[in-house]
Order: sequence, then structure tokens, then C-alpha cells
Amino acid sequence: MNSSVWVIGGGKGGVGKTFVCSSLGVTMSKLNQSVLLIDFDLSGANLHTTFGLPLSERNLRAFFDGSHKLIDLIQPTNIPRLSYIQGFWDDWSLCAISIEQVRRLVDMAKSLGFDIVMLDLGTGAGSSNMELIKLADEKIFVVDPEPTSIEKMYRYIEAFICHNLRENATAESFLQIQNALKEYRKKDSKGLFSFREYMRTATGFSLNHFESLYEQPIRLILNNSRSHQDEDLGRSIQSVCKKYFDISMSYLGAIDYDNSVWRSTRDKAPVLIEKPFTPIAGQFLNIGKQLQQIENQRKNSAKVFKSVV
Amino acid sequence: MDVQTKFNYYDILEITPQTPQNEITSSYEKLKLTYSGENPAIYTVFSLEEARQMLSMVEEAFSVLGNKVLRTQYDSQMQVSPQRSKEDLQQQIPQKTYESNKPIAKPDFQKNEKMETEIKDCESWSGEMIGKVRIYKNWTFENLSEVTKISAYYIKGIEKMESQSLPAPVFVRGYVGQLCRILNLNEKKVCDSYMKLYKERLEQK
Repeated sequence: MNSSVWVIGGGKGGVGKTFVCSSLGVTMSKLNQSVLLIDFDLSGANLHTTFGLPLSERNLRAFFDGSHKLIDLIQPTNIPRLSYIQGFWDDWSLCAISIEQVRRLVDMAKSLGFDIVMLDLGTGAGSSNMELIKLADEKIFVVDPEPTSIEKMYRYIEAFICHNLRENATAESFLQIQNALKEYRKKDSKGLFSFREYMRTATGFSLNHFESLYEQPIRLILNNSRSHQDEDLGRSIQSVCKKYFDISMSYLGAIDYDNSVWRSTRDKAPVLIEKPFTPIAGQFLNIGKQLQQIENQRKNSAKVFKSVV
Repeated sequence: MDVQTKFNYYDILEITPQTPQNEITSSYEKLKLTYSGENPAIYTVFSLEEARQMLSMVEEAFSVLGNKVLRTQYDSQMQVSPQRSKEDLQQQIPQKTYESNKPIAKPDFQKNEKMETEIKDCESWSGEMIGKVRIYKNWTFENLSEVTKISAYYIKGIEKMESQSLPAPVFVRGYVGQLCRILNLNEKKVCDSYMKLYKERLEQK
């Protein structure tokens, strides 16, 4: 059985992607899943720090420069059923990873025999990040209640849609789409049709791949929630995505702002291990259970498919 | 609003014809929270004006789907066969049967130059004036109610400007807008003028 690949993304830096990734990893391992975390932050890896593990020569760089196999790079953590692959910190020329390399990484990661492989993305909407999101079985976006963070996430989603379109379009038609998009931006009053509706009327393309985006919802986690209003924000974002982008987003839940998070980051230990009874542990457990249910459904349908074939 | 287009009431409220009645309110509340005020989730995507429009669409959709009777009527108009949960079905009020399911065509009326100019030049749109146009264009309360899916009781209330028989002003505005579309009136002008008069009357009481 292939591993499921989850990516943790989201536009802005500092919203807690790495924190969510490590905590979700711990939670899923507690739920009896074998988990591999891969640090794919090209701008500076730091996942190992959240576990208090030392820097190592055996990191993702060795996979991309071909000196090691991916399986040799897996390192254990002190948490049962949880392993990780360190991101690269000792090479700066490799920052531009090609799409083919990303595909190879995902293929390899799927064959490693873990239940879940979780990729922690860095900031930015570069093509390698976008390709990873596209290939992943589960796309999890982290946002925090700041307007800047939400704005960046919308731009991130636009970049992702464009990345998807580029794949299926010729250079010429992609240029047409991009121009339509620019026009759309300039307009003051956009009327009430969605982004997709506009693209269709402006370019005349049918843009069918939106349907596949619709079937595979993007999951949303709202980090650093400080009030109930913040929690509701997730539902609002969900609605905007549906009305404006015409893609579906499912809101997994909010994670409270918690002082013990930075305290435990300073102690270089995961907060869920250090303080297993904070409210955020419960919130992560809730999210983890939802994801596990989705995962089980997917595996079951794959089984049915196999038996039919 | 054309019920066959993508923007039907179910789409607006982000639910399906199968959604049980009790979940509609929570969906409505979520949307209301999203599109009113300066919600950080919308500010880079929709302008304030667009958010306001969206909100009025949401209100309009909820005024129909939030009401079990009107929702059933709307469903039969759209010819969807909802399969809702059992208890929801048991609560349903028996549906009024119509002789035909066909949409009602616009009635013919004698063009009258004097009336046309009066409509054109009218600046203050009271309920009485809307009633006058309705009679001029040969619409009965029942026909109008069937086309707009606003209950005849409300339409009468709008013409008499009786706030005690009408819902909150936002809904009234939506209703008047719908009436305008059917009666071929300048929606914005009539709505603004009517709502001004209506609110003045509310304040007098």
C-alpha cells in the first residue's frame, strides 16, 4: 500500500506551518500511524529544531544531488512511529528545485511504506512548492487570523490555480489566461461572478480542471486563534473560496494561541510531548481524527477499486 | 433571478436541496457574518459594495429557503426532488398543488402613454404607486406571488406599507427589488425611494 502524501502549506511565513506539521505528526503517530516528516523548506530548514535534534549531513540535499537514496536519509525521533528527513541547510545553489526532481521525491516518498508522509513547505509560491501541492493526496493550508496572512493565502491559491492551468495549457493560451487575470485585477467592480466565471467568459476556455480541484478540497487550519471570532474566520474563508475561486475548502478547525508553544520551542521539544494536556493538544487530536477518517475512506475506496480490477 | 442559472438559492447559501432545514440557519448565519462588516476574510477579494450585494442575495435566499413552506414551493418550481431526512419530511406541511407547473407568463396589458410617463417621472415610490403599476400591468397578487415566490400576504403588506405584517427591512428591500424586476421598473431607484419612505413610516410609529 502506497503512503499518503500530505503537504502543509500556506502563503505567509510565520503562521506556524512547521509547528502545525510537527504537532500533526506527533498527533498522527499517537493515533497509531507511522509517520515520516520531510522538511521541504528551501529557505532554511528548521523542523529538526522543533524536535531538538542536531543538524546532520544526511539531509534532503543528499537526495537531490544523487549521493544518497531517500530511504537512507530517514532519521528516527524520540517519539514512537515518527521519523523525519532533514531539510537542507548546507547548500544554497540547489534552491531552485526542478519540477522533475519534485516528482521523483514524491514517487520515492510514496514507496517508503509509511502510513503518512508529511511535507513541510517553506514560504513562497514557487513552482516546486506548487507542484508538491498538486501531487499531494491531502493539501493542508495553515493561516492565521491576521489580514496579511489571509490576503497572502488568497494569492497563494491563485498561484496554485495558475500552476494547474499552465500544466494543461499551451504557452499561448496560458498567456491569454494571464492577461485575462490582469484585466480582472484592474477592474474596480467585478460583479458577482467568480474568478472562474470571469476566466471562462474572458478567454472562452472551458477550464474543466476546476472540477477536479472541487472534488479534492483544500483543508484549512487556522492557527493562533485568540477568540471565537477568529475561529469563525475559517468558515468565512471557506465561503469566500467557494464563491470567488469556485474551489472547495474544508475547514478542519482552529488552534488556539498558546504561550506554551513558544516556551517549548525554546526548550526544543514538541509542545504536545512536553505539555500533553494543553487545549491545543485536544484541538490537534480533533483535527487528526478528522484526517484519519478521510484517510480511511480513501484507503477503502482504493481497496474496492483494486478488488474490482 | 433565473432559478436555472448557477446562482440559485441553494448555491448562494452553500447548501444542497438535501440539506435538512435546521442546518440552513447555521449556514445563513455563517454567511451573514462573512459578508457584513469588515470581515478580514473578504477585504482583498470583494469590495464593500460587492459584499453588500452578496449579503442581500443571501438574505433573499434565506427568506425563501429558511421558510419550510416557501422552500417546498421553490423546490417544486425548480423541479428538484429533495431526499431529506425522515423527521424533516414528517414535519413538512402538505404542499399546495397547482394546476400546472408551468411558469406563469407575463400578462398582456394596454399601453397607456399617460401611465408610462407617470411611471417614468415618478420620484417618490410609495406602496400605493407600486400597487398602481401592478394593476396597470395586469398582475394579480396570486400570479405575482407564484412568480416571485414572495407570499401574497407580504406583497399586500408592501403595497400598504404595513411594517407589522412584514419582516425586517432588509428582506423588504429584497422583495421590492424582485417585484421591480417582474414589473420592469428601475430597481435601484424604486428600492431606494421605497425604503426611504418605509423607514420614515417606521420611525413615525
